[in-house]
Amino acid sequence: MFDISVVFESIVEIIKVVPFTLFMAFLILIFSLILGSFIAWLESKYIPVIHQILIVIKSFIRGTPNVVLLFLIYYSFPFVVAEALSYIGIELNPYSLNPVVVVIVTFSVCYAAFQSEIIKGALHALDKHQVEASQSLGYSQWQTLRKVIIPQVMAEALPDTMNTLLLIIKALSLAFLVTVVDIFAQANLVGAMTFSYLEAFTAAALIYWVLGGAITYATKKVENHLNRGYV
Amino acid sequence: MNFEYMLEILPRFFSVIPVTALIIAVSFIAGLLLSVGVTIIRVKKIPVFNRLMDIYLSFTRSAPILLQLFIFYFGIPVLLQAFGIAVTNVEPIVAAIACLVFYNGAFMSEILRPAYLAIDKGQFEAADSLGYTGWQKFSRITMPQLIPIALPGMTNAMIHLIHDSSLIFAIGVVDIMGLANIIGSETYGLYQVEVFLTVAVIYWVISLIFEQLVKLFDKRRRKVLKFEGYTSSEGAG
Repeated sequence: MFDISVVFESIVEIIKVVPFTLFMAFLILIFSLILGSFIAWLESKYIPVIHQILIVIKSFIRGTPNVVLLFLIYYSFPFVVAEALSYIGIELNPYSLNPVVVVIVTFSVCYAAFQSEIIKGALHALDKHQVEASQSLGYSQWQTLRKVIIPQVMAEALPDTMNTLLLIIKALSLAFLVTVVDIFAQANLVGAMTFSYLEAFTAAALIYWVLGGAITYATKKVENHLNRGYV
Repeated sequence: MNFEYMLEILPRFFSVIPVTALIIAVSFIAGLLLSVGVTIIRVKKIPVFNRLMDIYLSFTRSAPILLQLFIFYFGIPVLLQAFGIAVTNVEPIVAAIACLVFYNGAFMSEILRPAYLAIDKGQFEAADSLGYTGWQKFSRITMPQLIPIALPGMTNAMIHLIHDSSLIFAIGVVDIMGLANIIGSETYGLYQVEVFLTVAVIYWVISLIFEQLVKLFDKRRRKVLKFEGYTSSEGAG
C-alpha cells in the first residue's frame, strides 16, 4: 500500500520546483520588508486619517485567512490593474495576467502587515540616544539610517524575519488553488500522475522539513554573526 | 461590486457556521489535551519520548497545514489497513479534525511550556517542604499561575486555528470556504469577488470578537498577575 521507492521518485520530481518556490518566497519577503518598513514609518508619523485607515487595513489582513485573501485578490486584482492601466492608455486583458503575480502581490501585502509589527518592535528596541549622538556628530539623516539604525534593526528583526520566510514558504502551498506550481502543487501533480498521493505528499513533507531545518540553522548562524561585538 | 448580492448570500453562510464552529471547538479542546501531554513529556524530559516530541514539533512547524491535511486524509486509511481494519476512505471532516488536533497539540505546547517554565522553581521546593502532594502542587501552585500566563497565547492559538480551519475545504469539507466555492460556481464565477469579500468579512468579524476577548482576558490577567506578585513586564514576556 505504501511504497517507499515511490517516495524517492516523487522527491526527485518535486525537488525541481524548490528553486522556483524559494525564488517566490524571497521575492515576497523582500517586497513585504519594503512595504512593511514603509507602513511602520507611516505609522510612526501619526498622520490623522491615514493612521486610522492603516489600522483598519491591518486588522482586516490579520483577521482574514490567507486563502480568503488569495481568492479575493485573484478574482479582483487583474480587473483593477486592467482598469488602472486603461486610464493611461494601455490595454491589458485581465485574464492574461499571470497568477504568479497575484500570488506574489497577495502574500507581499499580507506579510507586510505582519512585518511592519516586527520592524516596529525592532525600532522600539533601538536606543534613541544613538540617533541623537549621531546627529551631534554631524551625520546626515541617510548616514544615521545606514550606519546606525539599519544594522541594529536588522539584527533585532532577523529571527522574526526568518520565521516569516518559513511562514511564506508554507503559505505558498495555497498557491496551488490559483494554479501556481510550488512544492505542494507539484506533489499534487506527481500524486495524480502515479495515483499514489500519500507517497507524493510524504515526499513533499520531507522536503519542507529539510527546508525548515536549513532555515532555522542558517538563522542561528547569521544571528551569531550579526550579534558579534554586542554579546 | 454588487452589495445586494452580498447581503443575499450572507444568510446562507450562517447555516455552515455550526460546522466550522464544531470543528474548531473539537480541535481546540482535543488539541489542548494533547498539548498538555506533550508539554509534560518535554518538561519532565522523559527519555525516548522527549526526542520523539522534538521530531513531532519540528515536523508540524515546517510542513504547511494544507499538506498535513492531505497526508491525514490519504494516510488514515493506509494506517488503519496496516492494523487490519479495512477502510477505503475516511470522512473528510474526521481527517480534518484529526489533522487540526495533531497540529495544535504541537502549537499549543509551545505556549504551555514557556508558561510553565516561567513559574518560579523555588515555589515547588517550598511546596515540597510543606508536604504538598503532587496533585496539590499542581492545583494550588502550577495551575493558578500557568493559566493567566498562557491565556493570551491560547487565544492567539484560537485565532490561528480559525484561520487554519479555512483550509479544510480543500479535502472536501463544506464549511464557510467550501460553501463559498459552491456559491461561486452557482453563478458561473460571475460574483466571485462578492462571495469571497463576504467570507472575508465573516472571518474578520470572528477574529475581531476573539481579539476583544484577548483584551478582556488581558485586563483580568494583569490583575491576577499583579496579585500574584508578577510585575506586568514579566507577565507579558
